Amino acid sequence: MNILIINGSPRGKKGNTEIFVKHFALGIKAPCEIRCAANEGSKQLAEYSQLFDTVIIAMPMYLHAMPGIVMKIVEHMEPAEDGSQRIGFIVQSGFMESAQARYLENYLSGLAKQLNYTYLGTVIRGGSAGVSMMPENMNKKLFAQLKTLGEQFDLNGSFDKEVIKTMARPVNLSKGKCRMLQCMNRFGIGDSMFWRYMLKTNKAFDKRFDKPFRNSSGTT
Amino acid sequence: MKTVVIREFGDVAVPCQYELDLRITAPRDCTGCWSCWLKTPGRCIHKDLDAFYRAYLAADKVIILANVSKGFVSGDMKTLFDRMIPLFLPYITYKSGESMHVPRYDKYPAVEAYYQGVFSSEQEKKLYEDYIHRVFYQFHSKCDVVEPIAQFSLKEALR
Ligand SMILES: Cc1cc2nc3c(=O)[nH]c(=O)nc-3n(C[C@H](O)[C@H](O)[C@H](O)COP(=O)(O)O)c2cc1C
Repeated sequence: MNILIINGSPRGKKGNTEIFVKHFALGIKAPCEIRCAANEGSKQLAEYSQLFDTVIIAMPMYLHAMPGIVMKIVEHMEPAEDGSQRIGFIVQSGFMESAQARYLENYLSGLAKQLNYTYLGTVIRGGSAGVSMMPENMNKKLFAQLKTLGEQFDLNGSFDKEVIKTMARPVNLSKGKCRMLQCMNRFGIGDSMFWRYMLKTNKAFDKRFDKPFRNSSGTT
Repeated sequence: MKTVVIREFGDVAVPCQYELDLRITAPRDCTGCWSCWLKTPGRCIHKDLDAFYRAYLAADKVIILANVSKGFVSGDMKTLFDRMIPLFLPYITYKSGESMHVPRYDKYPAVEAYYQGVFSSEQEKKLYEDYIHRVFYQFHSKCDVVEPIAQFSLKEALR
């Protein structure tokens, strides 16, 4: 097995995807190369990926799907001739519930078929926008899961189903949970706390509701 | 009625106030920097879409003529969607039973999408249509029409 991992985040080495990739790769002993979509031509990277029997594309979710730069790589990927190549995906995202990624997951499994690659599955982890800013100990569980995922991948050439299942939780938000989250935000203790902190740090809090492209009435 | 056209194919002129032709000007890719939320709220670090943002928000209707690329929206179209994030707030609402961004503006245009291209299965076609519906649901736009270009009738669209 020789593995190519493509980090599909526009933030490249500074993003959360990079952290996912690093911890996953910790568990892997087989030859494994990591490349960043942000620093390379999409066509080059697509062509380069043909040299590997196993390709993993890791990415942040953007608007229920892959970032534009990842789709540009996909557009340059050619169907495999002999069907001996394999492809899997790791998706991490801001929203908590992994069900938000169902469009992407469906697309990626279909894409593998289109490309005549064996589909290895898609790992989905929500609530990950803050991973790169969180203190090490808050990420402990996640990092351990990723390493196990890597070790199992190294052993079996596939993602561990149980780990996938655990990481995907919560799949949906219950009514009660939604009410609670909504309520926490109203009192400024939910996820809005994070935005407030960042906006204040950037001295942009007063401008948070700006509407720079609003058309003043009557003009075109 | 004010109309904006986002186009990836064809040359049938659709009367409109603003047209974004992705074949001529591919938008610059989102860098994921979050300046549009946390540093310069509402503004992207790239300026290439400023006129588009203004026209989009002023429009009553947006007509998208989209390609099908590897069974999905094209990379350029996807980048355009990514670049529309500045039109929404970072804040999340859970009122609909799932996470969703809060609108930044009072009003967003209705959207109709017509596509050109082939699918390898009925499932793939459904996913493509569902996906576009979903994007504009997240974008707080009414989007009733996602159809093959053959369904596009000028009169209907300008009604
Ligand atoms: C343009 C844009 C669109 C996004 N869309 C979604 C989305 O639809 N759902 C979601 O859960 N998170 C979304 N996110 C959040 C990212 O997935 C999340 O912050 C991720 O951790 C970023 O990873 P990175 O640092 O590796 O780039 C979006 C972020 C950006 C910049």
